[in-house]
Amino acid sequence: MVRASIVVEISRTLSEILVCPLSKQPLRVCEKSNSLISDAIGVSFPIIDGIPCLVPKDGKIIETPTDDDSLDTKQCA
Amino acid sequence: MAAVFQFPFAPVVGQTTRRRQQIRSSADRQALFSRIAPVYDDLNDVLSLGQHRIWKRMAVNWSGAKEGNNVLDLCCGSGDLAFLLSQKVGLNGEVTGLDFSREQLIVASKRQQLRAKPCYRNLKWVEGDAINLPYPDCYFDAITMGYGLRNVIDKYKAMKEVYRVLKPGSKASILDFNKSTDGFMTSIQGWMIDNIVVPVAAGYGLTEEYRYLKSSIQEFLTGEELEHLALESGFSSARHYEVGGGLMGNLVATR
Repeated sequence: MVRASIVVEISRTLSEILVCPLSKQPLRVCEKSNSLISDAIGVSFPIIDGIPCLVPKDGKIIETPTDDDSLDTKQCA
Repeated sequence: MAAVFQFPFAPVVGQTTRRRQQIRSSADRQALFSRIAPVYDDLNDVLSLGQHRIWKRMAVNWSGAKEGNNVLDLCCGSGDLAFLLSQKVGLNGEVTGLDFSREQLIVASKRQQLRAKPCYRNLKWVEGDAINLPYPDCYFDAITMGYGLRNVIDKYKAMKEVYRVLKPGSKASILDFNKSTDGFMTSIQGWMIDNIVVPVAAGYGLTEEYRYLKSSIQEFLTGEELEHLALESGFSSARHYEVGGGLMGNLVATR
């Protein structure tokens, strides 16, 4: 659990510094998928071994939830 | 010099069957740098007889980075310039090393852990693209780029991004091979690549990767062209300095 909280800590620090490489808008952390989310363009960028991958072509488009999905308002990838 | 002929690394898998290929696209170059990642540092030392360390120190000095600064090493590779910047800015500063090759970043991260200097706590690695930087405008106090710009397909776009993320009045220090306008120097450079660099790289199974160097320099910009590129990208001033007897060059551009 300690390791998981360190990962979240690193992710939060990164999200305060980094912006979306395409829209230049702020990113937010998705703890569930350990990724940085660009809400501006609906793309998630993974953090692998503490190194965020913000190469545009490696971003994953976030699927929009259907009406039947019971998800939080903040969609994670 | 005996060390030059010891080849501690097995040839890269697939090298012997790979036909000569063009290193044209960004993906090709990314793959190239990922293939050479395991031996990149060793080869830099061998091929430049350790001189690259001096040129990199000069590049950092030219960047104007100082204690407490927030700085970026773009196309950081295995992190040589980033480690120098880390010592320069100290624990009150922040250093980011950004590169498009995860394999190079992994080498950089391992070096950071192995060296374990206290100041290296200020150092973070990001996998990213030089033409789409994940930073807000006017963010960095200094930017360095070592042997990176030549490998970026869209150099104008990269310079525009460097300009965008630099604070006004701050500098970008860009070190690379010098594309000389002097025919004699060009011949010497070409001869050295053909007769020293490529044969040594061949011992590591990386003939084609280092053969790429010659055409890459030929397609690069001269010092004067780099100065113009910087000015066209918005920099208020730009000056290109030849170092290493004219084999290398360092562009210093001020926002």
